[in-house]
Amino acid sequence: MRAVQILVDGFAISSLYGLAAVGFTLIFGVSGVLNLAHGGIMVVAALVGWLAAGELGLGTYLGTLLGVAAGLATAYATYLVAVRPIQTSRAISAEETEIFVLTGTLLWGIMIQVGMAYLFTDNPVTIRPLISGVVNIFGVRTPTNEVMIAVLAWMLIGLLWLLVNRTRTGKALLGAAMNPRGVTLLGYELTRIYLVAWTIYGILAGIAGVLLASFLGVGTANTGQLTASAFSIVVLGGLGSVSGSLIAAYLVGYLETATAYLIAPTLRPIPSLILLVLAVYVRPQGLLGRR
Amino acid sequence: MIGPARLQVSELGKRFGGVIAVKNMSFDVNAGEIVGLIGPNGSGKSTVMSLIMGITRPNSGMIRLDGTNISGWPAHRIARAGVSIVFQHSRPLQRQTVLENIKLAMLPDSLLRLAMEPSVAERARIIAERVGLGGVLHRRPRTLPFADLRRMELAKAVARDPKVVLIDEPFAGLTPTEIKALSDLIRTLRDEGRAVLLVDHSVKSVAALADRVIAMYLGERIAEGRAEEVMQNETVRRVYIGGKIEAVERRQGAGTEAQTLLEIEDVEVFYGKALALDRVQLSIRQDEFVSIVGLNGAGKTTLFNAISGLVPYRGAIRFAGRDLRNLTAAAIARAGVVHCPETRELFGHMSVRENLDLGGGHLSNRERERQLAWVFDLFPILEARQTQVARTLSGGEQQMLALGRALMMQPKLLILDEPTLGLAPVILGQMSKAIERLRDERSLTLLLAEQNVTFALPHSDRLYLLDHGRIAWQGDPARFAEEMHTGYL
Amino acid sequence: MALFRSRIVWVAVIVLIVATLLPFVFSAYLLGVLTVAYYFGVFAMAWDLLFGFAGEVNFGPTFLIGVGAYTAGILSSKFGLPIPACIIAAAAAAMVGGALLALPALRLRGPYFGLVTLVAVLLLQNFVVIFAGVTGGEIGMTVPDVLSIDANANYWYALGFLALSAALLFGLSRSAVGLILQASGQDVVEAAALGFNVTKHKLAAFCVSAIFSGTAGAMLIFYMGTASVDTVVDIAIGVQIIIAAVLGGRRTILGAILGAVFLIVANEFLRPLGQLNTLVVAAIALAVILFFPEGLLGYALHQDESQ
Repeated sequence: MRAVQILVDGFAISSLYGLAAVGFTLIFGVSGVLNLAHGGIMVVAALVGWLAAGELGLGTYLGTLLGVAAGLATAYATYLVAVRPIQTSRAISAEETEIFVLTGTLLWGIMIQVGMAYLFTDNPVTIRPLISGVVNIFGVRTPTNEVMIAVLAWMLIGLLWLLVNRTRTGKALLGAAMNPRGVTLLGYELTRIYLVAWTIYGILAGIAGVLLASFLGVGTANTGQLTASAFSIVVLGGLGSVSGSLIAAYLVGYLETATAYLIAPTLRPIPSLILLVLAVYVRPQGLLGRR
Repeated sequence: MIGPARLQVSELGKRFGGVIAVKNMSFDVNAGEIVGLIGPNGSGKSTVMSLIMGITRPNSGMIRLDGTNISGWPAHRIARAGVSIVFQHSRPLQRQTVLENIKLAMLPDSLLRLAMEPSVAERARIIAERVGLGGVLHRRPRTLPFADLRRMELAKAVARDPKVVLIDEPFAGLTPTEIKALSDLIRTLRDEGRAVLLVDHSVKSVAALADRVIAMYLGERIAEGRAEEVMQNETVRRVYIGGKIEAVERRQGAGTEAQTLLEIEDVEVFYGKALALDRVQLSIRQDEFVSIVGLNGAGKTTLFNAISGLVPYRGAIRFAGRDLRNLTAAAIARAGVVHCPETRELFGHMSVRENLDLGGGHLSNRERERQLAWVFDLFPILEARQTQVARTLSGGEQQMLALGRALMMQPKLLILDEPTLGLAPVILGQMSKAIERLRDERSLTLLLAEQNVTFALPHSDRLYLLDHGRIAWQGDPARFAEEMHTGYL
Repeated sequence: MALFRSRIVWVAVIVLIVATLLPFVFSAYLLGVLTVAYYFGVFAMAWDLLFGFAGEVNFGPTFLIGVGAYTAGILSSKFGLPIPACIIAAAAAAMVGGALLALPALRLRGPYFGLVTLVAVLLLQNFVVIFAGVTGGEIGMTVPDVLSIDANANYWYALGFLALSAALLFGLSRSAVGLILQASGQDVVEAAALGFNVTKHKLAAFCVSAIFSGTAGAMLIFYMGTASVDTVVDIAIGVQIIIAAVLGGRRTILGAILGAVFLIVANEFLRPLGQLNTLVVAAIALAVILFFPEGLLGYALHQDESQ
């Protein structure tokens, strides 16, 4: 039954990874930023959700919502504090901007991590699942929560797809990712498009953080790992490719789950790291990379 | 004194994806000779330079230096073999002084020689003085005027005593006096026995300098010989101007009572140090079709970028009385000033339909449908290919898409930059008809930039000639045909 | 320029003399802080050589440091080799590591390269934890030998090493090779057109940076007597090194020392804040990036230039 367990657990975790990675890749595709504070945003969402639901006694639903809102707020803060000032700074030359933004988000991420640990706790927290109970999938008793997570993740991804492919704003976002000057010439303000991108990202990362907390538990110590995972997935899948990120998310999610079950839980992150190193040596643009 | 062939290029070919940049180029450059390479934008001149220098690899053909085959060698090896290049854009080390920049050019490619040879400093000084930089040896590039930066590039290229010197667009951004001074310097290179290959858009400057001229078009050689011969060559003239400049029956354009729609006053644009636009004055009335003609590098695109708010400028640009300076580029577009750039800026991975829809993104659904129907009527091929991904379209189809997309924005002033660039002659006819329809069917003001004067003339109520960033001539098409017939090239 | 150069060298010499005399004034505690700061200074200088000169952003300098440190530590504790041998081996191991890191680097641009360096650190971290038997895992290992038990002696060892490294690295940066490196970092195409094999030079820069990082890492653990992931491998340390170099001024080499000293001393000062000291330091670093991207020495030099 191990196999089925791996299949099921792996699916849930991969879906969450996919959700977070899609947001990460969206931000890179549209505003060119590799956000190293990514883990921080997820952790803030998880911690605030836990705080609101548990300590403040607001219940799971409200707690979750507040958690996501906190994630969104943190995403905005990241953009306004660590990204935009560097991109618009005249003291930094154009070639160095990317590197400075990377460093800036890294520092901001560290600030979030330490700040959260100080303000709340550095122990992992869990949020009570939105749906309790257990279902039987191919003979494996699985928490209903896991199923819901997978379903929710895919619903959100589907919504995102609809947004990008069927709405005007979404198409403008896509256009900005392909050709920022093109959308400007068509009368779309880039600053507004960036705000939309960061909003979507904040919501996705926030939801991923809160859901992860209800599934595996999240702590400030995970911040780096979460960023690294998202990074690896997005690079494996190809920077800027949403479908690539999804495929890679499942690859990494399953590799990690299988490793945890079959070898040892502590070795969880290793295979994906090795895969990443191989990818970088052999095919740096990832599976479906375009940029 | 022309010596043996230093550089021998045979059947050189290069393609970038589906685009053939260079096809079957063969020519020699002899010692003690200046060969000029001319051709309109996109003809492959710079690519030839890159291939010779080893910055790109050729797909076919051979390049020989003094008999040795150097094609496929890495750039640094070709440089060490005796080829130097002066790039189009100056590339100094900003944090080093002029002297240090030149000294760098003289250093051996060694990891272990930590100290410079004592003679390096003295030799660098001599070269600096030779090119006229003796007084600014210890200044940093940021503090130097544009022309001095170009001299420094030349100094770096000469520092290693090269056999072959490649010079890419040396005269861009220079005043006539500076052009003359630089030309004199280049002549001394030739007199020293080096082989010089020169590329520039300014046909006149190249003609004055080169012993031999080779004209390129769409990657191939179309003429070779002495400067005067090549300039009179029928094919060359057609390629540059598009054909014979003759008077055309002009349609009744806007009367002089129409309102001024666009006013450009004393506009100056600097790219770093280079003066790209020099106090340009221009005005366009409602419903007028105005063309700006001039060779590449004259500043047409810069002017359009200034109008669209894409580059900073000095001076005033007013649209319908409103100063455009404080609007963002997107706001300017929304205000009705729609720019269809030379580079088209299509969304390559989106379909034709999606590109057009984005153009109509500010309209209501119904309006957009109507506008789309009109654009499809104008360019039926776009309707036929509406689900096709934009980057797989042919050049002509892409241009039509770009124009269609701009039209989706319901422009009051349409700014069209070089729509015929790189297009086959048969497409030009379709383009021409489309523009005529625009004039007939819509209330539209058009500002057109074209190298191809023959294309522009029939659609113009008035013409401006832009030369080296300055308006050199303005008037109506009939007068243009009379006065500019011989002088244009 | 010649005039200016001698000025910076004179200032450095004076500072060196003052620093040598500090053990007669400062307490053992303060000397201890400075000792660590000096090794950090070498880390930061080595990073600046790579970034400021070869134009490569190394997000995981602790990979090279860690390789050196653990090589030395394992050789000392498991094989009982004398300190000098361990240090030389550490330098060699780090150089190999540097070359390995350079291979993908020279084919990748921008964010991809930074990524590879980050991954290298993560891998090393996990490697150390997995092979805990040899490396002591997360708890760390102790080394039987130390440089000295006397605070003064340790201080002078560190200062001497720093001075030597500074002289070598600064000299390199101002040499002909340094000029070529700058060109390679600023404009690859132009450097190639001038006849320089950029790949060769960048690879060399990596190896030099690696040798200094690895050696300093080895010396650090022979000072502390222990080696652990938290002190020599963790990404947080790497970030501090980058901050130190940026704070001090990119491309100045000597500025990195200023940045390192400032950072380590600030860390000590803020120690009472507990965990928060990391936050404060990160906040300061972010502020520096936003408002003073040129760094301390960078600004000082800038003023000089505009005169």
